[in-house]
Amino acid sequence: MTEPPSVPRARQLKSRPHIGRDQWSDFATGAKTIAPLDPGSFLFGLAFGALIQVAGFNSWAGISGSFLVMAGASQIATVEALRVGAPLVVAVLTALVINARFALYSAALAPTYSAFPRRWKFGLAYLMTDQAAAITLHNQHVYPDPVRRRWFALGASLTFALAWYAGTAAGVLLGPVIPAAWQIAFIVPLMFIALMVPSLRHRSELAAAVVAVIITLILKDLPLGLNVILGAIGGISIGRFVK
Amino acid sequence: MMLFVAFVIAGVGTYLIRLSGILMLGGDREFPESVTKTLRLIGPAALAAIMANALLLDGGSWRGFGAWHIAAILAIGVALWKRSMGWTLAVGAASFAALLSLGL
Repeated sequence: MTEPPSVPRARQLKSRPHIGRDQWSDFATGAKTIAPLDPGSFLFGLAFGALIQVAGFNSWAGISGSFLVMAGASQIATVEALRVGAPLVVAVLTALVINARFALYSAALAPTYSAFPRRWKFGLAYLMTDQAAAITLHNQHVYPDPVRRRWFALGASLTFALAWYAGTAAGVLLGPVIPAAWQIAFIVPLMFIALMVPSLRHRSELAAAVVAVIITLILKDLPLGLNVILGAIGGISIGRFVK
Repeated sequence: MMLFVAFVIAGVGTYLIRLSGILMLGGDREFPESVTKTLRLIGPAALAAIMANALLLDGGSWRGFGAWHIAAILAIGVALWKRSMGWTLAVGAASFAALLSLGL
């Protein structure tokens, strides 16, 4: 269900060879603007793909995650949860809790996308990532014309997603040749440090993170990965009281 | 198979989250302040909980002190200093590889 919205658009591109040079040029500008971040997308995908193999899951199931969910942190969390024996509902809940932040971007992008045709909104929503949302919001004033703006947004969002798919595929291929002695599972905590710590600015965010760590560790003997969910909820609850 | 099913459900849910604001908001409607604040805290809290679980625990018991802890401390230091995801990953991965090759 995640993919159908992007399919009609792909077909439409093919059936409309007369897409103007300006549109392609705006698409290319979007692609160029996000290009410095593409290696990160590729490497994160690579790490996820390799982890799938190391955790002992089916490669195709792993690759499907990058198309169906298209959100690295939540995909790694899902794999990690199932690996430690958590039930399906906990694995999915963990993923959705991590991805709840997209509601913020979606709200922020609403005025930017408001003049776009409906099928564009559905397609761009599927391609939404932390990075593409930031790039689109940052450059929207350059494109007051919604037609040019949507091509810019598509160029940034789609190419960043393509780097993610390519990285995942490369990781799945490389996974089996990575020696166990490299302990590639270290990528899980490292990735989460890299995603979270640089953006910790407000005291309430710091408090939420620290409380989440403490509760997760105190409840370490709970089964099914419940300590992680309760740790996150505890961190959010306490963080709300910090001004 | 279980992983695939998890990805399908998480994928549908994540897509609906991504659509939520775009379809429901728009003009001058906005999320209430309390909702925005909660959403802002979800990222740090959820990522920190998973990080602690993966770094400090190993199958429910404490992970023995070693390369994992030292490389993570270095990565956190660089993350606070450079405020950059790329630098954090590079220093974390390089120091972890160096520590492993030293036999830690």
